[in-house]
Amino acid sequence: MGSLVTIRGLHKAYPMGDETVHALDGVDLDFDRGEYIAILGPSGSGKSTLMHILGFMDQPTAGSIIFEGEEVSSLGADRRAWYRSNRVGFVFQSFNLLPRLTVLENVALPLLYREDSDRKANEAAAKHALERVGMSHRLEHRPTQLSGGERQRVAIARAIVGKPSIVFADEPTGNLDVKNVDRILDLLGSLLAEGITVIVVTHDLGVAARARRIISMRAGKVQEDRRQ
Amino acid sequence: MRIFVRLRPAVINGLRELQANKVRSLLSMSGIILGVASLVAMVTVVEGMMGNFKQFVDGMGGLEKITVERQSLPKDQEHLAALSESITLRDVDQIRATIPLISNISPEVSVGWEKIVYEGREAVTSILGCTPDYLPVARRWIDPGQGRFISDLDILYRTDVVVLGASIATDLFPPNVDPLGKVIRVKGKRFVVVGLLNKINGSNGMFSRWRNNGVFIPVTTATSKFTGNNHLTALGLRIADANDLQYAVDQVERSLLQMHHGLKDFSINTNEETLESFRKTQSAFKLSLGGVAAISLFIGGIGIMNVMLASINERIREIGVRKAVGARGSDLFLQFLAEAAVISVMGGVIGLSVSMGIVWLMNYILTQAIPSMALSTLDWKIMAQGLGFSVIVGLVAGVYPALRAAKLDPIEALRHE
Ligand SMILES: Nc1ncnc2c1ncn2[C@@H]1O[C@H](COP(=O)(O)OP(=O)(O)O)[C@@H](O)[C@H]1O
Ligand SMILES: [Mg+2]
Repeated sequence: MGSLVTIRGLHKAYPMGDETVHALDGVDLDFDRGEYIAILGPSGSGKSTLMHILGFMDQPTAGSIIFEGEEVSSLGADRRAWYRSNRVGFVFQSFNLLPRLTVLENVALPLLYREDSDRKANEAAAKHALERVGMSHRLEHRPTQLSGGERQRVAIARAIVGKPSIVFADEPTGNLDVKNVDRILDLLGSLLAEGITVIVVTHDLGVAARARRIISMRAGKVQEDRRQ
Repeated sequence: MRIFVRLRPAVINGLRELQANKVRSLLSMSGIILGVASLVAMVTVVEGMMGNFKQFVDGMGGLEKITVERQSLPKDQEHLAALSESITLRDVDQIRATIPLISNISPEVSVGWEKIVYEGREAVTSILGCTPDYLPVARRWIDPGQGRFISDLDILYRTDVVVLGASIATDLFPPNVDPLGKVIRVKGKRFVVVGLLNKINGSNGMFSRWRNNGVFIPVTTATSKFTGNNHLTALGLRIADANDLQYAVDQVERSLLQMHHGLKDFSINTNEETLESFRKTQSAFKLSLGGVAAISLFIGGIGIMNVMLASINERIREIGVRKAVGARGSDLFLQFLAEAAVISVMGGVIGLSVSMGIVWLMNYILTQAIPSMALSTLDWKIMAQGLGFSVIVGLVAGVYPALRAAKLDPIEALRHE
């Protein structure tokens, strides 16, 4: 599989009064298409910061990111929004579904912000994504009417509805019971077959063990990058 | 169109938020509702009143009419009273000959309120001596088949003919009797009815009844048979163009002063003062009620802004999620602006229906108090304006909250509890 992201010398610094917090302190990484990666590390090690920058939610202080052959380390806000809507998907620990929208509308949401947004097409794509996660029997339900596992499946459908290149999952099983953890992890793992790169951020070794590559972080640096 | 594609979900979303927070939204609308209702009701009622005023002034002969009336001498000329000859037909000739601005001049002698009799049926009405010029000056006419007005020959020969106002004709004659050609007694003297004046059907009942009253005889007959002197009570003057009013008034005053050897034994009146005082009343109403409307719309705007800010505060996480899945700042700006617009349009529509109620109530009260009052009717243009105002207020009030939503950092928004 080809190279998806190349990161060189990535820095993220937060000025805090007189001091500066180096959330990322020189990160070099390469991700291929269809990789299953776990990012492991103690709290405060920079996992979320890395995910936010790679997920086009934030900009690095320094360093270069080549995404699908393009330098993307200093894009403007609207350009980054375009990448979020067209190239990446997010799965959150707390699901982050919008309570007023139906399951179908929640899943279609990323498509709403695309240039070529079309209501019928969006709906069809959302239905397809919900089928993919086995939730097509709950289209008109509200998120509050679903169990935690079901909600996370809907969230995964939302993450993949736009056919992204990369899906980020930040502690995706943190709020789930044991029975559902496996199901969600299986679901995430099954995305690789479609060429989607899956990056799971966790501090749960069991979750990390499912990935084929484990990146351990500490104090803003990559401590270990291990394939298994 | 792109903007429509983006606007549609924003508006649907706004409607949903409104539905989800009914009470809060209604409260936030109250200012707009009050503002639009008072604005529309105020404009409607004031326009209605102005309509009544205009009708009144038109009934009085319009702005092109000047009235000269006999008046006792001012204090500084009182000792010259013996020299005063009052207004006479000589003044009429003089004005006619020297003031081209005056297109018609109607000399009038008021005989007073007298009894008129037809075969035992009686009526009391005002008797006016006048000439053919009365018609153009008073803007009256005689409908076909209703006889004729007083003619120049009647003036010349002082004939005993009379023209009846429409309501007098129906008061004095039974329905099956044609008044034309009948002989009636006016203040005891025999007169032949030669014509019936046109009937005025105003919405202003009392006023049109008054205007349909009265009987008219030749001015020369009035002076010779009843008043016994050549004094005229009044002159009705008509000018072609209301813009010349002031010049005409000045010219008439100069002419008359000269004719009367400088004695100011007459007064000159126009309808402009009347209209002017109406206008003042109108602008006073507009100012005070417009102030109420402006203040309520302002408060309405603040209410919407408040609710929008509260709603954004509650939905910071939603904003974060929307941004995370690809919404731009402008998408969220549009979403929240549309929400503010939805609230204000709703408020505006409710305000319009409230204004209908207010106008209905005002009409009810006014017509109870003054039955002749013409009703105010809602004009779609005014309603559209009211709605437009509310939308503008909503949009202006929504800009700041929408900007705040647009500028939120997605990471921090997602972290928000
Ligand atoms: N917005 C911020 N402002 C200041 N410091 C921050 C901010 N975000 C993260 N940090 C700091 O950067 C470091 C890395 O944070 P984070 O990436 O959230 O770590 P992790 O997700 O591994 O727990 C921490 O020390 C954290 O306090
Ligand atoms: Mg974290």
